[in-house]
Amino acid sequence: MSAWGTAAGAFVGTLVLTTALRAAGEMRLTRMDLPFLLGTTVTANRTRAKAVGYLMHFLNGEIFAFMYYAVFLAIGMAGWWLGALFGLLHGLFAGTALVGVLLPLVHPRMGSPLTSAPEAALLEPPGFLMLNYGPTTPVVTVLAHIGYGAIVGGFTQLGA
Amino acid sequence: MRAVHETGRRRPVVARTGGYVPLREYAVIGDGRTAALVARDGSVDWLGLPDMDSPAVFGAVLDADRGGRFSLEPAVAYRSDRRYLPGTNVLETTFVTSQGTARVTDALTLHDEVALAPMRELQRRVDGVSGAVPMRWSVRPRFGYGTRTTRLLRRAGVPMATTGSDALAICSWGAGEPQCGVDAISGSFLVTAGGSALIAMPFAHQEPLVLPARAECDARRERTCAAWRHWADDRIYTGRWSQAVMRSLLILKLLVFAPSGAVAAAVTTSLPEHVGGERNWDYRFSWVRDSAFTLAAFLQLGCPTEAHAYFWWLMHASQLTHPRLQVLYRLDGRAATTEKDLPWEGYCGSSPVRIGNAAAGQLQLDTYGELMQTAWLYARATGRLDADIGRRLAELADLVCATWREPDSGIWEVRSAPRHFTQSKMMCWVALDRAAHLAERSLIPDRHLARWQSTRREIATFIETRCVSPRRNCYARAAGSEDLDAAVLLGHLYGYDGDVQRMRATITALGQELRHGPFVDRYSGEDGLSGAEGAFLTCSFWLAESLARTGQLAQAAALMDDLVHLANDVGLYSEEIDPATGDFLGNLPQGLSHLAVISAACAINGAYKEAGG
Repeated sequence: MSAWGTAAGAFVGTLVLTTALRAAGEMRLTRMDLPFLLGTTVTANRTRAKAVGYLMHFLNGEIFAFMYYAVFLAIGMAGWWLGALFGLLHGLFAGTALVGVLLPLVHPRMGSPLTSAPEAALLEPPGFLMLNYGPTTPVVTVLAHIGYGAIVGGFTQLGA
Repeated sequence: MRAVHETGRRRPVVARTGGYVPLREYAVIGDGRTAALVARDGSVDWLGLPDMDSPAVFGAVLDADRGGRFSLEPAVAYRSDRRYLPGTNVLETTFVTSQGTARVTDALTLHDEVALAPMRELQRRVDGVSGAVPMRWSVRPRFGYGTRTTRLLRRAGVPMATTGSDALAICSWGAGEPQCGVDAISGSFLVTAGGSALIAMPFAHQEPLVLPARAECDARRERTCAAWRHWADDRIYTGRWSQAVMRSLLILKLLVFAPSGAVAAAVTTSLPEHVGGERNWDYRFSWVRDSAFTLAAFLQLGCPTEAHAYFWWLMHASQLTHPRLQVLYRLDGRAATTEKDLPWEGYCGSSPVRIGNAAAGQLQLDTYGELMQTAWLYARATGRLDADIGRRLAELADLVCATWREPDSGIWEVRSAPRHFTQSKMMCWVALDRAAHLAERSLIPDRHLARWQSTRREIATFIETRCVSPRRNCYARAAGSEDLDAAVLLGHLYGYDGDVQRMRATITALGQELRHGPFVDRYSGEDGLSGAEGAFLTCSFWLAESLARTGQLAQAAALMDDLVHLANDVGLYSEEIDPATGDFLGNLPQGLSHLAVISAACAINGAYKEAGG
């Protein structure tokens, strides 16, 4: 196993994940836009938010990849399929807790189930499995994360 | 800012007929997430939880027996009056009996972080004003529109109602010993001058119930009132009908779904447009049709936060269906609005009771004009549009060029065969006109500007040659029709650049043929539904605004004076009014009616200022 492989895998994996989500958006499958959601934590300017959001997204991609790496090290094995399994869990976690629950609670511009008058949120909350962003959002998100995980796992193994 | 009708006349409460009170007897309270209807006899007859569009826990307004309610009233004969506490959406009802006077303050408290607050909380405080008044109360929760089994029990001495992942508790102080029966939690007590009681109803969805202390409840209610007053104090309106305008704005704020910024058309479903009829629709969604009026109201009255939030929500929600627009979207941004019937008898027997709205799937070409007008207002106010939104708006304009020749269901969502409605064509013209303006200012891509301009001319030609009543030389309801449609006034209000004399003739014809006193019918002719309906209040306000914009200021102001007095005692408007009886009809409070109040008042005041009056 190689940390450099993990770092490279994180970069490529995030690239694939982001491209897949963007393509799904263009195909009207989802309104999910992770860079936009992340970027709007620091600015309300939509264009700047997307630029900043991509940087944050890639940084997040590296952080999560090294969490995978820590588990790979702990169990002494890595690979495409194991990475894909981690990606599946990661995608489900993102949909149910990370983006679905935690992000609305800390995002300064996103509504949460507790937001009340006189406030008015700039960004609608994603809801359970991010279904507010389209009925196929969970499928698209989980598949994209499986792809990300597989690439991280594969690169980690290849880098050995 | 002061609430409208702050000191109303005390009146005997109208007796319930078959368990129902006239819709005019309802006031609304809300917290930006959900809203409740409170009758003048102290009964909460409608409350969806946790959100405005969630299944009702109290739905007695739609089924007096099975709907569930939270009643609180004197145990002896009484008269009552009520008002909103100034600058708030907190309701105060004063009950006068032969034994004394008691005052009930109803609030859905706002979220705060000073103390651990319930997810949602209804508070009902009773104050003794004079004498000693025997009071009685009863809570009959019916989760999931009464379709889910509700368990009533006590935990730690607190009465609760639970089902699945939902629960509510009844925390009471000074309100008598609560009795937990088979299907109700109830109590009775005596409130004396200077004394008080409090019944709080915290609600939890997918989390444990928070059981607050009385001091926390009192403090939270005070903070709720202060938050509303603070919000209202920052709003701007100086002109005639200021009380009606500011109450309308407070109601509009109550319709803003704070978690997303969407604005609901109303807080209720299936209140009938004709008692006993089938025209019963679910309005707990956000209609693109209302978007331009909504944004204009927010911008005119100094609500930039709400304006930004609403525009962002609108552009996000419509992304999935882009470039086609759905007629309406859910408050959380979802597009699915499947319609089905509930096994309830409906208000005074008006069935079906529908949840969901099948109109979402209709083609309504006017929505494109509304959205483009909204974008135009937003761009004018902020001076910019995001590049991605600009690209999408240009694609919408392209779609209008491709589809404007199609017949549609029109703004009134008729369920008869699609037609070439005049107002739809006018709004297509508005869409392309605003797109051209935006492109000329480099706010959206201008590659197809020439096409938009030439199509705009084609649409104008179609309207001026095909959508005219030869007999009256005015705009007709649809191509080749002799019927009239008050919605054509929207073309005028949005600046459709047609024949000025023809528009004046249209206003005259509408006044003569669809107007009865202050009331204006929506249209003449058929709509694919049986039964009649009341006068559509919004059309009356549109007519007043059109009169002002054509220089007929005295007529406009006189009509507006009449219309302002049609609100109920706390300043609410429903969708329609029965001209014969003055009864409210349709869902309430109706956002479009209140938007029309604001728009007409601002326009007439503006016209007076221009005229130097």
